[in-house]
Amino acid sequence: MKNLSLFILTVLIFTCFSAQAFSQIPAPKQSTPIALTGATIHTMAGATHYNGTILFEDGIITAIGTDVTLPDGTEIKDVSGKYIYPGFIDAWSQIGIFEISAVNMTLDLNETGPINPNVMVERAFNPGSRHIGVARSAGITTVVTTPGSGFGAGLIPGQSAAMMLEGWAWDEMTLKSGVGLMVNWPNPGNQRNYNNQLEQLRQAFDDARAYKRARTAMEEGNAPHHDFDSRWNAMIPVFEKEMPIVVSANDVRQIQDAVTFAQEQDVRVIILGGRDAHLVADFLRDENVPVLISTVQSSPGRWWEPYNAWYELPAKLHEAGVRFAIAGSSSAANANRLPFEAGTAAAFGLPVDVAVKSLTVYPAQILGLDDRIGTLEAGKDASFLITDGNPIEYKTRVEQVYIQGRKSDMNDMHRQFYNMYYEKVQQRRAE
Amino acid sequence: MKNRISQSNRITSFLGMLIAFVLFCFPAGIQAQSQTSPTDGMKENTPRVHAFTNATIVTSPGNTINNGVLVIRNGVIEAVGRNTRVPADARVWDMEGKVIYPGFIDAYSSVGMQNPQTEIETGNNSWNPQLRAHLRAETEFEVEDDGSSELRAAGFTTAVSVPPLGVFRGKSAVVNLGDGSVTDRLVKAGAAQAVGLRRSNELGFSYPTSAIGAIAMIRQTLYDGIWHRDAHAAFDRNPAGLQRPEHNAVLASLSGVVSGRQPLLFEANSEEEVLRAIRIKEEFGFNTWVRGSGYEYRVADYLRNKNFGLVIPINFPDKPDVKTPEDALNQSMANLRHWYLAPENPARLDAKGITFSISADGLDNKSHFLRNLRYAVHVGLNPNTALAALTVNPAALLGIDATHGSIARGKAANFVIFNGDLFEQNSRVVDVWVDGDRYVVNRQRHSDPAGTWALASQNGLFDGTLEIKEQRGRFSGKLEIGEEEIDLKSTSYTDESRRFRADFMLEADDFSGLVRLTGSLSADRLTGWAELTGYGRIEWSANRTGYTEEEEQRERSLPERTLELADIRPAMEYGRESIPEQPRHILVQNATIWTMGSDGVLENADLLIREGKVAEVGTNLSVPRNAVVIDASGKHVTPGLVDAHLHSGVDGVNEVGNAITAEVRMADVLNVNNIWMYRQLAGGLTTAHVMHGSANPIGGQNVIIKMRWGALSHDLILENSPRTVKFALGENPKRVGTGRYPDTRMGVEQIIADRFRMAKDYERRWQEWERNRTGIPPRRDIRLDALVDILNGNIDVHSHSYRQDEILMLMKLAEEIGFEVKAFHHAVEAFKVAPELAERGIGAIVWSDWGGFKIEAYDNTNYNARLLKEAGVVTSLHSDNSQIASRMNWEAAKMVRVGMDPEDALSLVTSRTAELLGIDDRVGSLEPGKDADFVIWSGDPLSTFTVAEQTWIDGRRYFLIEEDKVLREKVEAERAKLIRFIMEEHND
Repeated sequence: MKNLSLFILTVLIFTCFSAQAFSQIPAPKQSTPIALTGATIHTMAGATHYNGTILFEDGIITAIGTDVTLPDGTEIKDVSGKYIYPGFIDAWSQIGIFEISAVNMTLDLNETGPINPNVMVERAFNPGSRHIGVARSAGITTVVTTPGSGFGAGLIPGQSAAMMLEGWAWDEMTLKSGVGLMVNWPNPGNQRNYNNQLEQLRQAFDDARAYKRARTAMEEGNAPHHDFDSRWNAMIPVFEKEMPIVVSANDVRQIQDAVTFAQEQDVRVIILGGRDAHLVADFLRDENVPVLISTVQSSPGRWWEPYNAWYELPAKLHEAGVRFAIAGSSSAANANRLPFEAGTAAAFGLPVDVAVKSLTVYPAQILGLDDRIGTLEAGKDASFLITDGNPIEYKTRVEQVYIQGRKSDMNDMHRQFYNMYYEKVQQRRAE
Repeated sequence: MKNRISQSNRITSFLGMLIAFVLFCFPAGIQAQSQTSPTDGMKENTPRVHAFTNATIVTSPGNTINNGVLVIRNGVIEAVGRNTRVPADARVWDMEGKVIYPGFIDAYSSVGMQNPQTEIETGNNSWNPQLRAHLRAETEFEVEDDGSSELRAAGFTTAVSVPPLGVFRGKSAVVNLGDGSVTDRLVKAGAAQAVGLRRSNELGFSYPTSAIGAIAMIRQTLYDGIWHRDAHAAFDRNPAGLQRPEHNAVLASLSGVVSGRQPLLFEANSEEEVLRAIRIKEEFGFNTWVRGSGYEYRVADYLRNKNFGLVIPINFPDKPDVKTPEDALNQSMANLRHWYLAPENPARLDAKGITFSISADGLDNKSHFLRNLRYAVHVGLNPNTALAALTVNPAALLGIDATHGSIARGKAANFVIFNGDLFEQNSRVVDVWVDGDRYVVNRQRHSDPAGTWALASQNGLFDGTLEIKEQRGRFSGKLEIGEEEIDLKSTSYTDESRRFRADFMLEADDFSGLVRLTGSLSADRLTGWAELTGYGRIEWSANRTGYTEEEEQRERSLPERTLELADIRPAMEYGRESIPEQPRHILVQNATIWTMGSDGVLENADLLIREGKVAEVGTNLSVPRNAVVIDASGKHVTPGLVDAHLHSGVDGVNEVGNAITAEVRMADVLNVNNIWMYRQLAGGLTTAHVMHGSANPIGGQNVIIKMRWGALSHDLILENSPRTVKFALGENPKRVGTGRYPDTRMGVEQIIADRFRMAKDYERRWQEWERNRTGIPPRRDIRLDALVDILNGNIDVHSHSYRQDEILMLMKLAEEIGFEVKAFHHAVEAFKVAPELAERGIGAIVWSDWGGFKIEAYDNTNYNARLLKEAGVVTSLHSDNSQIASRMNWEAAKMVRVGMDPEDALSLVTSRTAELLGIDDRVGSLEPGKDADFVIWSGDPLSTFTVAEQTWIDGRRYFLIEEDKVLREKVEAERAKLIRFIMEEHND
């Protein structure tokens, strides 16, 4: 057996994992300073440190570089020959609110009715989802879980939240709530329906703005009492430009119309999807509208479009100077494919380092998470991965993930199944 | 005077005027009478002898008599010729300026079939509502609003009434399009047995729910028809001791078909369906007619020698919507170019020497028929061919050419009179004569007020010159009194009553106010009276002083055909003008070659191809003379990738109408209009197992194809590849639902077991019959035939599965019953029963990383393939998804991430896949003698950063990344050209 050595090696690796055979236990919070040394550290903040050291304490990076002074009591781990990258951010995910698509009771995607700006996804986030561990062992440390998609999705389905894939429950796993207000742009296929839904959307924003004005006047003592409206109250941060609207838009009409709408409403807008974004790339660049591309490893709907039209989309937006990130387009169960989406973009023209940025620093900047994650710099969260190569390359293995300094259990459900049934194979061989 | 009449399109001669009132006698008089019906009231004996003089008579395509005479007597043509004598008893019709053509014959119509019965509740019918072969168009025919008058208005005098519903629909009948009774109108009963290639929704949702099911049903029913005949023959010879065979009206009515006397008439709604009909014809050898769909030009080269009857519609597609740039973005090149080329369908078929008839079928508005016919001629159809397709061709096809199809002595008096050449834009059908009876289509005007008139009124109150004008059927006029010109208002004229009306304001010394004129026209004189409003009434009259020259109607200009569109296949984006050539020798040099055979991966190696096969793999191979040499330095070469489970490129995937559908075949419904095939080629895929869906414990037969982009559907099939069948366990077959057995996994097992027991009994019956050949022959059951083939190892079982329990169940059941399972597909929990699979040598075909989408898929692990491989199971990956199939190398690459050796990983989409499909003698590795199916990659095929640069099949290059760029530009250019053409075309 020519691959015997590899076989034995991997069996050994997994034998170690199988020590803790059952469920994935959340890692304890970091208690002592840790320094990882000898790695090639891709900070995504400009510098790459060869044979570098990353030092972190209480979940925060305190120093990074080739000349790092380690405080007393630092736990030092030699990771020579390995690579360290910032943890990946899945800028659009359903992890935590989606378990099994054909089992409706395991889904918490769409609240009743078209207008639900007040629902907050983190409050329903299931930390026991199997998909968390699988995504995490692919290097995804943060997911922006977003409500409202598929059948029954409303126009304004709720607010997304940035969730760290480590911890006991949503309270400690929430990196940031209210990351974006999701808007599902109507389908322009049917003109009348399109216009009606646009009017409905505009009405909601106008009503919410009127509510804000009235409540402000009330609070400043210039008006009588105005009763609380949960829906419109939730939209106040949007008008104050603290929270962007994240508009699902693929068709070129949807993209243009959504940006026009946002400008008219004077709110920040992020395009999600962006299939046709390359047709209006200059416009998006000039208006500084970022795009969360969710259609890379996929094929165009129009027959005439090139077979690799979507593979090439990130490269086209990059060349045009549009801000973008690559988001997962798969269901929660397949969130682990995110690095491959970026890899495909790299195969079709996107520079490799930009492809990695489109999973790290770019989504952090676009979604306002860059004060904490996206790059490896002192003061930022110690959320990163250790690999044996470029993490968007298929053959690369993600060996360890740290999230805010917590060393995550890499023995996800997939590996547990492997270990358990490898045992069956062994037993049968022994019989 | 003469000159004026010949210029007019609407005004007949004075002779016409004289006989005008004869017209209205006919239609009511002949309603519903037949030759055997008793006479009520007065016997009608209006003479039925007519002579048409001064006519241009096109007796048949290409044969014209100028200034001839046509004589008909009692519904039959008595004489036609240049010097034919007008019989003394004939009514004479002056055909000056008119052209007479043989009446058109529509070889496929729904005339009389406007309300087909959907529930047949009486009689010894078939078990299935889609089997209605015993219906006869002439007995189902409904006369009221039967559609005859619409067809007559387009020049038709005869049509085939085709029963419209079902798979076997019933026998069509040729009828003339008069208003008489069906008995009198029927020309020929039982012209053909009509067949649909799909289920009719109107007859309910039951087997066959799909195109595959419908085609299987056609096969089974034809066999049943043969059996019914033979079984009754055997019983009739000696009934003693025999169980009486069933008397089935449907099967009995197929006796004409199975004996070769009566054609099968297929309704085909795409060019693929035409090919399907032809393939059934070739399988059974029965006489076959096909009503096409307007797409036949796409396969004209193939159809030319197929010896079948072809009827084509000319219901050209609507103009594609390109109103906004976004609408234009969403138009496919396939749709745009079909819109442009569809009118050329008849001309292109003619150019290939294919004989056809043209039908008005499919036109919602039959009044567009002539417009479309002329457009077909405008775009290249020879007018004589067009006329033949409406007359002699359908007559010959239908076997009625002794009486129909041309104007000749002794034939039925069926003809159509145009007011000019049929193919001129503005010419119109004047009258249609059916069986010697006249039907007015465009009533001719017999009087004309337009012109100048000298008006004289009582007391000379408004004497002057009256001028009446007509424009597009609307009248206007003015009155000149001395110097004064007064416009007439509310001017009108009615030909039937010869009444003229107009009002005007008069400012005269004696009277000021509204004058209301009314008058009657006779020859060149108007006589009438006028109301002087509020004053009194006076009389007036006018004599014609001149005619107003009618304006020539402007010829509607048809758009110039400026576009040159190459013939491509498939007729869509990225289609090819021909199959790529196969160089005798190809040498790929200096590559890293993944042989996937015993040679492993060879660095800096060469691959020699000879005549489509791998000749040699090695280093420093010598270059044969004239070889195509490809320098692949730095590149990797692998065998063409194989996908073990795909559903693209077929019209429908599931036959859900029965739990067991082993008789249906995916090969029947391949469709090359499949953009995925091109995209899959671009990702290095060369072979795929195109499978039936998972709705049935025992589903249909799959087909193994190569991605021969540009070939016809049946040429995609990998020659002599093993037959395989789809089984399905678990949720899918049980959730098809409402009442269909099974509803549980327990039932899934039992119905599989039960059917195999049936199949064994069936096989025994046949074996007995083969030994004795006495009594009634067994009925051939193609469903059980397939199960017998499974039992005998002639069809490989590929089973959809998820959970370990069901995988174990089928393995055990197969052992108990005695058949083999080749592989479990999806098999998300196969890793749980890896030892059991390995022990039995049963393969596993799984996803790299798909699961969690339903409860039975929740225990998925991306280590599935790895663990299976390690346990000794022959393992492959599959896509089950058209997009994933376009990047199977990356699916394999994912297995490297979970710890597999790269070569093992690639084997999951090449050699192991071929092994499990039983095609490893042909594909899956690069070893001498194997098919020259290979991919040249930009680098390591398992790297994220690698793309396929060339994809070769059978030593032919089907994909080249540089060529793709050229094709993109061609596609863009052709779309742009077509969109511009649509926008510039101002007609309609």
